[in-house]
Amino acid sequence: MTSTLNGITLKGSAELVANFFSFGINSILYQRGIYPPETFSRITQYDMNLQLTTDPKLKNYLTKVVSQLKEWLFECTVQKFVLVITCLETNEVLERWQFDIDCDKSAKESSAPREKSIKIIQDEIRSVMRQITATVTFLPLLETPCAFDLLVYTDKDLLVPDKWEASGPQIIDQSEEVRLRSFATSIHKVNSMVAYKRTDSV
Amino acid sequence: MELLEAGERVHSNNRYLQLDGEKKQMELSHKRARYELEKAASDSARDLEHEVDRNQDLLGRLKKFQERETEAAKNLSEQVEANRALRKNMEGLNRKLEERDTRLNTANQTIIYLKDEIRELTQRIQNQDSTTSSQTLENQELQEQLDLQRRKHQEVSQLCQSLQAAQSSCSEHIVKIKELERRLALQEQDIAIVKTVKSAVAKVPDLEKDLKRLREDNAFLRESRENCSLLKEEVEGLRRKLERMEKKKEELVNIELEKERLAEKLKAWENLGQSTGLNIRKPEDLSREVIHIQQREIALKEQNYTLSSRVRSAERSQNEHRGELGLQRSKTLEEQKKRETQDSLVRRLQKRVLLLTKERDGMRAILESYDSELAPTEYTPQLNRRLREAEDILQKTQSHNVEMEAQLTKAQEETGTLKLQLQTVELELESLKKHQASAADSNTSGTKEELNILRQKIEDLESERQRLEEQNNILEMRLERHMLQGDYDPIKTQVLHFKMNPTTVAKQLRQQDIDALREEVTRLSELVRSLQEGGAMVQGDSSINASLSPSLLPSKEVVDLRKQMEILELRNQRLKEVFQSKIQEFRTVCYVLTGYQIDITTENQYRLTSVYVEHMDDSLLFKKGSNGSMQLMETVFSKTLGEMMALHLHHQKSIPAFLSAVTLDLFSRQTTI
Repeated sequence: MTSTLNGITLKGSAELVANFFSFGINSILYQRGIYPPETFSRITQYDMNLQLTTDPKLKNYLTKVVSQLKEWLFECTVQKFVLVITCLETNEVLERWQFDIDCDKSAKESSAPREKSIKIIQDEIRSVMRQITATVTFLPLLETPCAFDLLVYTDKDLLVPDKWEASGPQIIDQSEEVRLRSFATSIHKVNSMVAYKRTDSV
Repeated sequence: MELLEAGERVHSNNRYLQLDGEKKQMELSHKRARYELEKAASDSARDLEHEVDRNQDLLGRLKKFQERETEAAKNLSEQVEANRALRKNMEGLNRKLEERDTRLNTANQTIIYLKDEIRELTQRIQNQDSTTSSQTLENQELQEQLDLQRRKHQEVSQLCQSLQAAQSSCSEHIVKIKELERRLALQEQDIAIVKTVKSAVAKVPDLEKDLKRLREDNAFLRESRENCSLLKEEVEGLRRKLERMEKKKEELVNIELEKERLAEKLKAWENLGQSTGLNIRKPEDLSREVIHIQQREIALKEQNYTLSSRVRSAERSQNEHRGELGLQRSKTLEEQKKRETQDSLVRRLQKRVLLLTKERDGMRAILESYDSELAPTEYTPQLNRRLREAEDILQKTQSHNVEMEAQLTKAQEETGTLKLQLQTVELELESLKKHQASAADSNTSGTKEELNILRQKIEDLESERQRLEEQNNILEMRLERHMLQGDYDPIKTQVLHFKMNPTTVAKQLRQQDIDALREEVTRLSELVRSLQEGGAMVQGDSSINASLSPSLLPSKEVVDLRKQMEILELRNQRLKEVFQSKIQEFRTVCYVLTGYQIDITTENQYRLTSVYVEHMDDSLLFKKGSNGSMQLMETVFSKTLGEMMALHLHHQKSIPAFLSAVTLDLFSRQTTI
């Protein structure tokens, strides 16, 4: 992953956060059953067993998005990262996994690396991943065929890159929100939460 | 050595001579070569002249030939044109010949054609003659048949008329029977009515007695009702009187109380004169006293107002004096401050002077030291530099000093102004306190009111602040909630996503699936429709076959099955017709040969009608028993044949003999009649 030193540079922090998102999205897709479980393979990361997809199209899409996200994390221009799960039949948004990113803008490229133990950061990430797995107990079942989308909330004046376009926020109508754990490298702080559509109103 | 050298010299001389000779030879050869070359050159020049002459000759010849050629070409073209003209003439003549040929051919063809037509027409005429003759023959035959049919028709119509007459008589009888039945029913109803009326009549005298009794009761009840109403009215009148009496009693009691009260008041008023000690006996005296008292009051009030105005003017003058006093004090303070600032300035200037003198002394000492230590010129630039540096430092320090002094003066001025303010505020406070203490009694209410107003304002502001704080908290919570749900500030944030994201891809795939399914559905519905229509068409159009190409086999089967079905139905129908005709034929043959028409009326019952019967209704009825034997049933006609029945059926036990005996008997009767 990153270096074994204790200091975290801006580049290293961006890479940590991007890797977390990559594995986190895979985990959510596996847990919520968006893609069939047989298309996932088990790997070891953060000292725990996680599922990673083997579907080439999905892998390609994820690598593109995560690499762009890493650039934006390095520039500290990204505010939120959202995974939206939509029902294909009714075009309604059923679930929304939102990760708020706070970036310490005073840490520029040239400043000295900040002190935070990699192990502590890994522990925090591990607890967030465990919590994501545990949300299965209270989230409503997704019975209809669903598809997912990844949204990025960035600063307004940011240049929209090729192959990206502006989108709506895709907010759930009548939602319940649950805040999950957060983790922080010394430069970026990521807060996680999940919002789902209330079942009695469906 | 010398020999060697001589030898060498000789050798070299030899060599030299050899070389000389060679050189001369070469020069000779060179000259010879040159001579030959010159010769060759002259020869070639001559040749060249020859060639040039020849060339010119050839050019002249060429020109002549070219002229001849052009003339020849002109001749040729003229000849070609003449040729063409001749050819055109030829072609025209050829065409005319051809036209004449074609005309001849067409004429021949028309002749042939007309001859054929003549032949055909003659043949047709012959055919038609033959057909007319055959048709006349047929016509005659048909007319004979027509006559036969007409005769038959007349017979049948006569039979029909007789049948209709019989039917009408039947219907008349039926109508009469119905009418009689209806009358019978009516009569029965009348009988029933008569019986009920008799029973009713028997009850009449009892009813009359009851009626009388009821009338008497009625009259009695009416009288009692009238008495009742009269009594009720009396009761009401008495009740009202009672109420009025009670009211009057109450009023009486109240009036007596009032009378007592008024008597007391009168006594009090009469005693007033005695209690106050004034000379009061009548109300006029009382009013006079009141007027006196009011006048005294007015006078006292006037005095009060004048005193209060004097007090206020005194207070105003006091305040003015106080203000003047305060101003004077502030002025004195200012003067004091000015004096202090001046003193501080003086002190500072003295310090500066001291510093400057010290610097000057120091500089002088340095200069003297430098003068005393005058050395080679190397030092002077150094010294100058040092001097300049020192001057710079000095200037800097001086400027720093000046700034410091300026800051110090500013600070002192500020403190002075603050002290002034403080003293003025203290003065005001003292004046206010004195003012408060002196005017405490007269202005308590005013200050209290002001205090209350101020307190209320403070309380209002506090409540407003709390309300705003609560609102702020609520709004912050709402904002937090919206941020959780994913809301964003469009001024600062934009939301981006990848164009080819899985949701759009899935939606596109879904749409494609839906479209494909819709197309299949339309195709299948068309197929179903065509199958339903395909039953009428046996073979099916090629278009339908093309559209049904995937399901060609089933439609073919269906068509085959339908064909088979039609064939079977046709066969069925034909069989029925054949059976019908056969049966009819057999029946007629039986009738003709045996003389009896056998009809089946109901199950196992056979009706025989003979050819020779006098009336159409005369028939014999036979029933088939359970064991298979035939039994004769009784009919009108069979009663007339009692003898023959006894003979043939009872004695001979032969039905055919009986039937033949009946036939013979009827035949004999017919022939005789």
